[in-house]
Amino acid sequence: MSDITATDAVPSAPRKGSLLEQDARTKRRNAAETRFKMYGIIAVTLGILALVMLVVSIVSNGASAFQQTYITLEVDLPEDRLDPEGNRNRDQMARVSTFGYGPLIGEAMEAQIAALGIEIEELGNPGDIVSKEAPAQLRNFVLANPDVVGSTVTFEFLANGRIDGYMKDRVTRATALLDKNVSPAQLDLTDALGEAGVLEKRFNWAFITAPDASGQRPEAAGLGVAIVGSFYMMLVVLILALPIGVAASIYLEEFAPKNRFTDLIEVNIANLAAVPSIVFGILGLAIFINFAGLPQSAPIVGGLVLTLMTLPTIIIATRASLKSVPPSIREAALGVGASKMQTVFHHVLPLAAPGILTGTIIGLAQALGETAPLLLIGMVAFVREFPAGPPEGFFDPASALPVQVYNWTQRSDPAFVERASGAIIVLLIFLVIMNAIAILLRRRFERRW
Amino acid sequence: MPTLWLVLIILALAAVGYVVGRQRALASSGGNAKLLHSLPSYYGANVSFAVIIPAIGLLILWLLVQPAWIQNRVADMIPEGAIPEGATLGLVMSDVERVATGLNLAVEQGAMSEEDASSIRTEFTDVRQRLGEVGVALGSNVDAPVLRAAQRYREMSATGNTWMTVAVLAAALFGFVSSLAVTKAGFRARNTVERVILIMLMVAASIAVLTTLGIVLSMLFETRNFFQQYPWTSFFFGLEWAPDFRGNSNLSIIPLLWGTLYISFIALLVAVPIGLFAAIYMSEYAGPRVRSVAKPLIEILAGIPTIVYGLFALITVGPLLRDYFAMPMGLGESASSVATAGVVMGIMLIPFVSSLSDDIINAVPQAMRDGSFGLGATHSETIRQVVVPAALPGIVGAILLAASRAIGETMIVVLGAGAAAAQFDRGLGELVNPFEAMTTVTVKIVSQLTGDTDFAAPETLVAFALGLTLFVITLGLNVLALYIVRKYREQYE
Amino acid sequence: MNDMRLTERAVDSKDVKIAARKVQVFYGETHAIKDVDVDIDDKTVTAFIGPSGCGKSTFLRCINRMNDTIDVARVEGDIHLDGEDIYNPKVDPVQLRAKVGMVFQKPNPFPKSIYDNVAYGPKIHGLAKNKAELDEIVERALRRGAIWDEVKDRLQEPGTGLSGGQQQRLCIARAVATEPEVLLMDEPCSALDPIATAQVEELIDELKQNYSVVIVTHSMQQAARVSQKTAFFHLGYLVEYGETGQIFTNPKDSRTESYITGRIG
Repeated sequence: MSDITATDAVPSAPRKGSLLEQDARTKRRNAAETRFKMYGIIAVTLGILALVMLVVSIVSNGASAFQQTYITLEVDLPEDRLDPEGNRNRDQMARVSTFGYGPLIGEAMEAQIAALGIEIEELGNPGDIVSKEAPAQLRNFVLANPDVVGSTVTFEFLANGRIDGYMKDRVTRATALLDKNVSPAQLDLTDALGEAGVLEKRFNWAFITAPDASGQRPEAAGLGVAIVGSFYMMLVVLILALPIGVAASIYLEEFAPKNRFTDLIEVNIANLAAVPSIVFGILGLAIFINFAGLPQSAPIVGGLVLTLMTLPTIIIATRASLKSVPPSIREAALGVGASKMQTVFHHVLPLAAPGILTGTIIGLAQALGETAPLLLIGMVAFVREFPAGPPEGFFDPASALPVQVYNWTQRSDPAFVERASGAIIVLLIFLVIMNAIAILLRRRFERRW
Repeated sequence: MPTLWLVLIILALAAVGYVVGRQRALASSGGNAKLLHSLPSYYGANVSFAVIIPAIGLLILWLLVQPAWIQNRVADMIPEGAIPEGATLGLVMSDVERVATGLNLAVEQGAMSEEDASSIRTEFTDVRQRLGEVGVALGSNVDAPVLRAAQRYREMSATGNTWMTVAVLAAALFGFVSSLAVTKAGFRARNTVERVILIMLMVAASIAVLTTLGIVLSMLFETRNFFQQYPWTSFFFGLEWAPDFRGNSNLSIIPLLWGTLYISFIALLVAVPIGLFAAIYMSEYAGPRVRSVAKPLIEILAGIPTIVYGLFALITVGPLLRDYFAMPMGLGESASSVATAGVVMGIMLIPFVSSLSDDIINAVPQAMRDGSFGLGATHSETIRQVVVPAALPGIVGAILLAASRAIGETMIVVLGAGAAAAQFDRGLGELVNPFEAMTTVTVKIVSQLTGDTDFAAPETLVAFALGLTLFVITLGLNVLALYIVRKYREQYE
Repeated sequence: MNDMRLTERAVDSKDVKIAARKVQVFYGETHAIKDVDVDIDDKTVTAFIGPSGCGKSTFLRCINRMNDTIDVARVEGDIHLDGEDIYNPKVDPVQLRAKVGMVFQKPNPFPKSIYDNVAYGPKIHGLAKNKAELDEIVERALRRGAIWDEVKDRLQEPGTGLSGGQQQRLCIARAVATEPEVLLMDEPCSALDPIATAQVEELIDELKQNYSVVIVTHSMQQAARVSQKTAFFHLGYLVEYGETGQIFTNPKDSRTESYITGRIG
């Protein structure tokens, strides 16, 4: 070696200190090591803490939405006010509007108070503690059963949102003083009625089944239309995205020649997966609504937009699971004289099916929670009517779960915060179920070659 | 005939074609399937395809073209004078369409006879009231040209639909007959069917390209309309965002972009250190048990819909930051703020940074670590000086992808950041105060497109220009990130 | 030292650098090294030979506790370096590895410049007070790695851009830069072409003036060329250990003979 000359050669390396004692530098380095590891632990803890805070915040705000305060009243249905003609003709009875029914509830309330011997000053109209939804409920019942006119019927009415809030500790006497919608006297009445068992809090099925209600009656607002709308959209996504996604993946993975066009498709799919969701909303508005003339707020448009958003997810998952089928299977099929197409559809696709399904469910779960594009295609509209059954229902106005949450956050009554959080809990339950199915599928069918 | 029925007829014909085609092939070989070139089912499928594809293709084409064509013809009927002050032909045409749908509905519900619908005149009937009765609300009274145009519109649609039915059925029948004619033992049915399937697969794959094209074209088209009404220089270089629905709006992107970038910056400030350290901890230090718990938990954050984060910002993080930071420090009294949206968005981005970084750190070859350990480096020295530098391109790619997410994120900022645009004339202090409410590009896209304004007004159209800008920025970031990550992967393959 | 027996041995053989007694290594359930006793001399090249999977690399990695980085590995028995038990809980493996350097089978330069590759060890161990001293250490190490002339004009270029042989000599220079007392080499030439191999072998010969070098090799010719002592491993046992000349010309154990004559391998 030319480099090393005799003069260059260094004498034996100096003996270092004992291994059994750590020198100062090593101690410092080890301290730095411990600190660095701590940063990692702190980061992981912060991440998990954020998740816990998120869940706790939503659950603590929203769990009470599944409970609702009801008031049981016996209502007199006098013939002279509800059916002046006295012939039980539905069309004629329909002329009495909800304003005609309102006082009946107030009277029933007064009667109930008198019967229980409750005395409260400055109460005003005791009927105010009942939801404004109640007269409509009463009217619908009477019009559906004209024969009850003239009798006394026992009803369960929703309590007013503020009274409900009081039962859930959201409204207190202190806030009631400042609030023109509720008075401390009404809260006293609530307490008294609660003791008498006339007023009670129960599980709130209506939250899941009822349609939305206007801003003045949060107690009546439910998720029914939103759930149906979301379900319709998922149906559209499933019907369109699954076959298209699988077909596209089969082409790209099994047949596509390596050329510019294939490259273009690949780059496009990778990019579409990262395009902001709101841009898909703009696409939906411009193409499906303005150009193709599809109706606003319709699940079909939402479904189409979400299909385009979900496609990249499904394609990526499908290609991964097609790739994991070993080439030996293809060779075996080709070897017995199957055509390429037969090989793919008879052998490769069935083996890849669990992976495809898992990817599809995860894509659907993503689509279910998507909000921004739906705002642009008009799904924020206030919809009280349930859409018809499919397929006509796809074209009827509907809402969607995440959009309903957004809608409720935009309303002024604080009771809607509870509703919005409750709606999120419902949404998260759906997502957990879907992801659990995906994980189960993966566990059950996962194959190692 | 309703389109649904037409489709069902075509499908039925296809089903019949399958059976007939199969039988005909078998008959041509004297019932011996071995003499056929392909399996009998392929002959059947060939006939089905020949029925379905041309007929459905024609149907879709017809449905797309007919409304535009009719609209064009009917628009000629509206004289210049019939367009009221301040309206456009487009607005009148949408009135025409609404009246036409109203008339259809009236006939359907029996409120009007078919004859009435085509012969009523504004001179004798209050059309608005009669349509109101069947539930079609019209904004103004219907004047004569509009009603006549609407009636013409109905007539033409009806004729068009009849012709469509005839043409589509003819196409289906032609496919049926011609494909049956070639069905013989020697016919290579499998090859034909497979070629058709291959083309269908290709079409499915092209949808990704079509989607991108659709996004770009739809936005380009409306953006061009916008720039015809509003100077592009003011849009890109102005400093004020002040839409005014009486006109004379200031619609500059700069204040919105400032909000977007500021919020994204705070989000990355939260997400990058936490995500990176979490990734390092999980890939380098954590045992398999800790990893199997912590990793999925953090990844749950990525599966939570953004509306949930938005609500979290609105009801928890916003008030928290206001009560414990902004108010005591005297920096603001708003729960919606840059910091609120930024922190919550940061939480959302943690898993984006951490899972991608985790993958990338794991891809650094063990030999690198061994080399460093062999020299007597501690674990953290190895990570800081060997592993992270080796993984840096990939980590940068991950951060760019996270940044692109942050810039395009909508719901968190809609609920957490506020609606007031940054105001450059109020001085730097307010611009950089993280506890000030500030709005972003995405928030304004939502608010401009969900408002009640006229669709053709610049205040609405600006949303498309904003969308296009957003698309271009995120596309640039994505392409760059994907390129870097791909280059990095190649390095260690 | 609380073990009298070993203290005695440390006294009667001053030149022994590393003394291993009853070393066992387990990978999970697998018993990879069984009862290995060996004394490795200072300023000598010791070769470990044996068929694939015989445990020679595993044993090598015990000497600087590289097996610590593998979760499932467990080491029993004693290994003493200059009379100190390196598996004593008080020993920091980081300090140990500063004394016992290692060169790996595949050249693994860091994705940094040539200079930074070599300066890495001295930096983390704080061997240089200033830039000038660091420059000097880097130059000396590169000279001792016999690669100085080839890279002195491009010290700031990435180390990954060198050829395989150069990369391996760079890795040797990198290991030498921390001034270790023992240099472990795990098949350092298996990824190199014959010319590069010759250069590295020549280098090893030079290095033995200052270090105790332990080399694991697949090639018996290489062991014969570079080493003074040879240990033959088979199925996790140390079968025979002695002067290289004696092992190759007059093996005592029949298994050693079979291996050398090519009957097992």
